[in-house]
Formats: sequence, structure tokens, C-alpha cells
Amino acid sequence: MNSGEKLIAKKCKKCGFIQHKDHIRCLKCKNDTFDMIEAQGGCKLITYTILNVPPLEFRDKPSYALGVVQFENGIKALGQIESQKNLKVGMKLAPVYKKICNNLDGKEINDFVFKSIE
Amino acid sequence: MKKVAIIGVGHTKFGVLENQDLMDLLCDASLEAINDSNTNDENFDSVYVGSMCPETFNHISGVANALVDRIGLLPAAADHIKNGPASGGSAIKAGFQAIASGINSMVLVVGGEKMTHITTPGLVTSAIATITHPKAERSHGASLPSLAGLLTRVYLEKYDAKLDWLSDISIKNHKNGASNPLAHFQRTIESFMESAIKKGKGSWNNIYEFLNDDKTNPIIADPLRLFHICSISDGAAALVLCNAELAKKYCENPVLITGIGQATDTQIVYERDDLTVLNALRESSNQAYKMAKKTPEDIDVAELHDAFEILEAVESEDIGFFKKGEGVRAAHEGLTEIGGKIPINPSGGLKARGHPLGATGVAQVVELFWQIRGEAGKRQVSDVNTGITCNFGGFGNNILSIIVEGM
Repeated sequence: MNSGEKLIAKKCKKCGFIQHKDHIRCLKCKNDTFDMIEAQGGCKLITYTILNVPPLEFRDKPSYALGVVQFENGIKALGQIESQKNLKVGMKLAPVYKKICNNLDGKEINDFVFKSIE
Repeated sequence: MKKVAIIGVGHTKFGVLENQDLMDLLCDASLEAINDSNTNDENFDSVYVGSMCPETFNHISGVANALVDRIGLLPAAADHIKNGPASGGSAIKAGFQAIASGINSMVLVVGGEKMTHITTPGLVTSAIATITHPKAERSHGASLPSLAGLLTRVYLEKYDAKLDWLSDISIKNHKNGASNPLAHFQRTIESFMESAIKKGKGSWNNIYEFLNDDKTNPIIADPLRLFHICSISDGAAALVLCNAELAKKYCENPVLITGIGQATDTQIVYERDDLTVLNALRESSNQAYKMAKKTPEDIDVAELHDAFEILEAVESEDIGFFKKGEGVRAAHEGLTEIGGKIPINPSGGLKARGHPLGATGVAQVVELFWQIRGEAGKRQVSDVNTGITCNFGGFGNNILSIIVEGM
């Protein structure tokens, strides 16, 4: 979903469905022309979990919060949440671009995480 | 289309099997099925092996080639079928298609996995997480337990269900597993609690207190705790399939596969319109019901894929037993117990039988075979003629449904 430090997605020119930029054809209508759109405004937390048993490449932290968010213009994303405290479905969050982990090849992975703005 | 019969089954013990490697398990289940089907001297046309990660977990590939060589089935065609945790179901589908098409008349299907020897923390979780979306999910630290946690929170809030009701699914599956001599955990939750009390780990007035204690039942992927999640296991299961016209030559009580369906859903879980709906199951079970000319009301028993206990509930809805949002409550009310409206997972399910990934889809059908033939011992459901399975691949993005019934 990310290009540089912009959180972007594809919006189908035919049916308007918003989807991850990896899709080559629309999930809903098979059309292959899209507008690239950027996440706008704040986002709301749709659901979250706190994972206490991370996969191998994330074991530098004992646990972290993960959430699914939706921006005002419809873009959805999954990402880590900076704090594990006071999480609530519906709370307002903002994206922050930062290092998430080193992958198994030792490469630094940067992406968006979300912080509370309430 | 030719009718497809199951004429013999094999099922190793599931659990921590220190003295057997993956090939040993596949061979044991296969030879048990061949023996059970009285086909010892017969030639097999094809062998389909479902296994998810033998390259990563066991450092071997070509498991189907190795199997036919070791158990003397040369020159049978041999394929290794991979569909994540639904590899077993996909192997059955391949065998079914081979016979239904008339191309083959005798097929061996086996599923298996060897996992418990892996001691590197997080390696199994990481290997399984490779089936999630690499950029949208995995690179953020998502794993299958975390996706289940995300689904559980949405479900509980949307349908006003309680976490203790999800625990009732675990309690039921452990109770059933206690009557399954091949299950990984042949113990009730009460038995786990009593052991913990004897070891001085604490004292609890009832199993719900025990299940809500962070010390004995830690939170893995909030709100899911350890006892809401299946373990990793070693094991294998096998079926001998043949053209139903030949079945009575080998077997007095063959069981028919009358319906089979498979469908997919979005790889990125959050791209689904409703996180609590498994469209791949709705579609695959509709295909299976249509092929078998059955409805959910015709089903006497089901083996569903409870890798996480929320999945059993959601699957019980999307396979047509309960309305959306009522599956957790139905389990809490006892409707899915042996003797209930629709018994689910009399085997103990993934939670208690265990989940050797590639074995699970085959083991589900083996359980239905025994249930239909009245051979399920203390966990026997009464008057079973028709059963259905759900074998869940990816995180619900590739699901098989299989209907079997007495001949």
C-alpha cells in the first residue's frame, strides 16, 4: 500500500472499489484501469489485536498491537499501533512512517504504523 | 461422472511423535488405509499427497515420489498437493476428480505433517504466515493467530457474543477429544485444571476461572487465549478411493463422496466486505450441497476447521447451520455437542485432535467415514448417514467443503 512515504491505493475507474496497489485487475469488476489515490484525513480503528507470540522476524519485541484502519476517503490498511494501551474500536489514529523490523535477510523494513490522536 | 467411494482409511496417532519422521507417518497412514481396504495386491493409478511445508519443516521435497517408492506402489502417478492448511482437502479433491472423470479407478490420498521437532521460537508461526499478503499483512507482523484475533474482536462486538462462549467451543472439543484414542489431547479442560491445581499453579472454582487466568491460559492474540487456538502436531491420515462400481468387491460398507466444492476469497483479509463472513466457504459448501443434492438440514455431523475457536463458529454459520452472528451462541447453548442439533467436531477438531497441517483435511473425512459406519466408539453420533467438512486454507482465502454419505 505504500510508495515512499505516501499511503496509496488503487481506485477502480469503472466501479470505484478501493484496493491494494498490487491488484492488476479490479477485485469486484475485473477492470484494469485505476486512479492512484492517497490516504486522506484521519483514520478510524476498525479492529485490533495484541500479538504476544510474534513470528520469527518480529521477535525483537515481545508483543505488539496490530489494527485494521479505514481513512476518511475509504482506504483501508493493516499496521502496527504504537501503544497497546487504551485501544478502542472506533478511536482516531494517524499514520507515521517508520522502521518496523529487520526481515530474515537483515534488511530494514519501513512502513506505516498508527498512533492515537485522541 | 463416475461415483467415488472410500473403501479404506488410515490415521496415525496425532501429537508429539518423536520417533517418526514425515515419511514414516505418511507410510504408516497409507499402509493402514491399503490394508483396511483389502487392496494389498492391487495396482494404484495415482497417489496424491497433501503436505504444507515439508521443505521448510523437514528439509525434503518430492514427498509423493518418495512415498510410492517406499510403499511399493511404483509406477503409480504421484503428485504432491499444496494448499496451505487445506492441502489435505485439495489432495482429496485431486483424487476425487481422477476417479469421477473415469481416468483412474484406484487412488490413494494421504495428508501429513511433521512439525513438533521445530524448536526455533516463532519459526512455525513465521512459515505459516508466508501464506498471508507479503506487503499488506506479513511485513507488518501479521500472523494467522493475529488475523484470528482481529476477526474475533469484530465478531464479538458486532454480534454481542461473549468470550466465555468461545471457550465453550474449546471445552466441547476437548470433551470430544477425550474419547478419541488418536487425538493429540485426550483430555477435558477440567482435567487440565485439576493437573494445574495438583502442581500448585493455583486454585479455581470452575473451568471458566481457570480459562480466564493469564498464568494458566495466556493471551496469545488478544482476545484469543491459548485454549482458543489449536496446537501444532505431528500426524498423517489416508483414504483409498475407488470407482464406486468396484467398491463392494473390496469393502462391505463403502462410503461415498457425493459432493465437493472449493472456492477462494481475497488474500488481504481486510479487503473483504465483512470480516465475519467466509465467502469462500459459502461458495464451496453451496457447490458441495448442489453436487450432492443436499441441504444443510440433511447433514447429521460436521468436521469443521477450528484452528481458532472463532472459526468453528463462523464456519457453522457460513456452511448453513446457523444464521450469521448466531454460531457462537449456538455452541454456548450446546447445539453443536454430540447429541445436539448438529454435532460439530466429534473427533475433537483441530483443538483436541491436533493440527498436523496437511493431515487435517484428510483426517476430517476419516472421522466422517467412521461416524457413518458406526465405528466412532465413545464419540459416536447417533443415526449418521451424511456428513460435511470444512478445510480452511490461507486465512479463509481457499476453502474446501466435502460431503460424504453411506452407500
